[in-house]
Amino acid sequence: MQSAPRNPTRVDKLRHYLISQEGVLFFIMLVSVLLLATRTDKFLTVDNLLQQGRFMTEVGLIAIPMTYIIITGGIDLSVGSIMGLAAIVLGWSWQTLGFPLELAIITGVLSGTLAGFVNGLFIVRVGVPPLIMTLATLALFRGLAEGISQARSARGYPEWFYQLGQGELLGIPTQLWLLIVTVAVFGIVLARTQLGRALYAIGNNETGARFSGLTVNRYLLLIYTFSGFMAGVAGYIFVSRVSTTRSDMGAGIELDVIAAVVLGGTSIFGGTGSILGTTIGVVLIQLLKNGLTLSGLTSDATIVVIGSVLIFAILVNNFILSRRGNS
Amino acid sequence: MSDMLLRMQGINKNFPGVQALKNAHFEVRRGEVHALIGENGAGKSTMIKIVSGVYQPDSGDIQIAGQAAHFGNPREAHLAGIATIYQELGLYPELSVAENIFMGHAPMKTRLGLRTIDWERMESGAEDLLAELNIHDLDVGAKVGALNVGNRQRVEIAKALSLDAQILIMDEPTAALTESDVEQLFSIVRLLRQRGVSIIYISHRLNEIFDLADRVTVLRDGETIGTQQVADTSEAELIRMMVGRKIETLFPKQMAQIGAVALELRNLHRPPLTRDISLSVRAGEIVGLAGLVGSGRSETAQVIFGVLPADSGEIIINGAPVTINKPSEAVAQGIGYVPEDRGRQGLIREMTIRENTSMAVLESVSRYTFINRAQEQSLASQSIEQLSIRATGTEQTTNKLSGGNQQKVVVSKWLASKPKVLIMDEPTRGIDVGAKAEIHRLMSRLAAEQGLAILMISSELPEILAMSDRILVMREGRLVGEFSRDEATQEAVAHAMMSEAARQAASAAP
Repeated sequence: MQSAPRNPTRVDKLRHYLISQEGVLFFIMLVSVLLLATRTDKFLTVDNLLQQGRFMTEVGLIAIPMTYIIITGGIDLSVGSIMGLAAIVLGWSWQTLGFPLELAIITGVLSGTLAGFVNGLFIVRVGVPPLIMTLATLALFRGLAEGISQARSARGYPEWFYQLGQGELLGIPTQLWLLIVTVAVFGIVLARTQLGRALYAIGNNETGARFSGLTVNRYLLLIYTFSGFMAGVAGYIFVSRVSTTRSDMGAGIELDVIAAVVLGGTSIFGGTGSILGTTIGVVLIQLLKNGLTLSGLTSDATIVVIGSVLIFAILVNNFILSRRGNS
Repeated sequence: MSDMLLRMQGINKNFPGVQALKNAHFEVRRGEVHALIGENGAGKSTMIKIVSGVYQPDSGDIQIAGQAAHFGNPREAHLAGIATIYQELGLYPELSVAENIFMGHAPMKTRLGLRTIDWERMESGAEDLLAELNIHDLDVGAKVGALNVGNRQRVEIAKALSLDAQILIMDEPTAALTESDVEQLFSIVRLLRQRGVSIIYISHRLNEIFDLADRVTVLRDGETIGTQQVADTSEAELIRMMVGRKIETLFPKQMAQIGAVALELRNLHRPPLTRDISLSVRAGEIVGLAGLVGSGRSETAQVIFGVLPADSGEIIINGAPVTINKPSEAVAQGIGYVPEDRGRQGLIREMTIRENTSMAVLESVSRYTFINRAQEQSLASQSIEQLSIRATGTEQTTNKLSGGNQQKVVVSKWLASKPKVLIMDEPTRGIDVGAKAEIHRLMSRLAAEQGLAILMISSELPEILAMSDRILVMREGRLVGEFSRDEATQEAVAHAMMSEAARQAASAAP
């Protein structure tokens, strides 16, 4: 017998949000913030929190396409190297090739986009597993960056160039505005558009998605290219923030990004995840890092605590999922 | 009888939703080649998996040489002298012929207090075993991965002999062999029979059975229909025993107005399983595509649907030639495909009924690429109502549904795309009788009332006969027969599916 579809009541909805992955994560974040605030009075201040927003923008921007990619069951390890490559191309085309700075910025971001496109092309057309392909380009793009830079750093940019990385708009770090807008736009894209639906379908069952007539290859190519683009933008912001260009920029950032995405509830096997979760993941990790350091913890102890929180959050999530699966 | 080596009686085996064996019996004498035949799903595989210890029967007796036997796992069956020749599965490609033959029971020696493999004895032992099979041209030091299929099979047989196998099970051993390899296999089988080894031989190729076997047992719907001396039977009799399956309350087909040709294939080619296929399906027509498993029916469907794009040939939709290189292009041309493997190909099981129903028509429920939830919702509700899908609502994930209701969701996904041609691959496999009848009623209605052209692949002859306006038969990648609804009988279609002489038979059919 077909029972009539029951419309969820407001209480149901509230309960749903509270015990969702994002809800639990948010709760963990609140508790962490409160605990950290009792340890040091330098942590919970508007200035400090805004400053942290500045620091987390690069990770946050890259984490958006990474969420898309991990939802499809893939991974992109090369984002840190792409970020470094884009930064170097920016500095090199401005200082060595003599491009106008505006054009150099575009060239830098485009080089990142192209790098992502190459990843996507090999993954889709040649069928190289994403892990292998981006592990290879992790080395390759970094090597390119070092080759182009010849160990020279570019500095001495004009004043307007630092506006994005060091300036403020209405009292809030400029790049944080960019992050907020990007998060909102791509959160909605994932949740509401055909692209978002296709990514979830691919992650849950790629064969099924193909057999339903979805253009799987096109979507995959698109998100790996998007990942390169975002890494390129992050490279630009990074240069603008630290006033210099070096070839080792962004080294290891891929692990921070993946940690934030996974902490945010995106399954590494694909099929589930959200931009909201990823955002909370990014914020939580940044606040832990900062708060623990301010409390006087050494940096190695800080890493240990962050690792423990990650494991704890995943355990809680699994517990919730299994409870839900049984009910 | 005293020379009865294996006796199985009253064997029952249930799997969720299906009784694979019902009170089945089977006996093998010492030193005979005993063929086991039946349609797809008749229970042959289950039977040999019970003999070889892979499955345990729910009830029934097994005796080996008069002693009650119980195999908890394949190893126990091995120790009792039962070996199975799988298609390449049992071998290690990176190891040598000798190592493969003696895997698990290599001759050992003790040197300096350590037990090590006696390589010399192993190699000479392997040579002796092969020589016993009249095989003298195989290098025992060669890597198995470098051998051709026929030689790999010989290595498997030698391996079985090294274990002193009394009963050798061969499951479709000639499926991948060339003709000369088949000849050599047959002579080895005859040699083994002379030595008193019993062979259980499974094959769809009836002519092989008449060449090789002493007796033949026919299974149908999990029951033993009978055992015959091969010398006393005929192809026609065996086919008669194999078919005539029980017809489960099939829905009476609604006769439809047959319209213009909706789908036409001209010399569609993608070897090995789609060879030079030409056929047409008209609006309102249900064309049944019959054939054995592996005859190329699903592959041909996937060529049409763009999963396996064609090497050559033409696909014509409503009179216009079209190019289809991927599924999205097939969908754009108005082709829907209800695939064979519901869980892997048909559905995204973790997603909801709503999301699955709209999967092939995301464009049409979207505006500026934003999916309109309300429109999607109403599409799903309509599907639930029209196909009477039993679910708690549109937000239920499809992995919580029964097989029949899952299938209805797949069908509703394609109906939403308003196709001109619907390919249905085993549309009622693994679903219960009630849901089956509903799917049949739905197919019939779609053809008769909406003029949909349906190409239906099925391994169940009663289904093919009951639902089809016209029946096409495939064997080894080719179309080998065509029957109108009136002239088709289970025997005739089965004959075309199995017999080498089918092409002539089909053209000579009344």
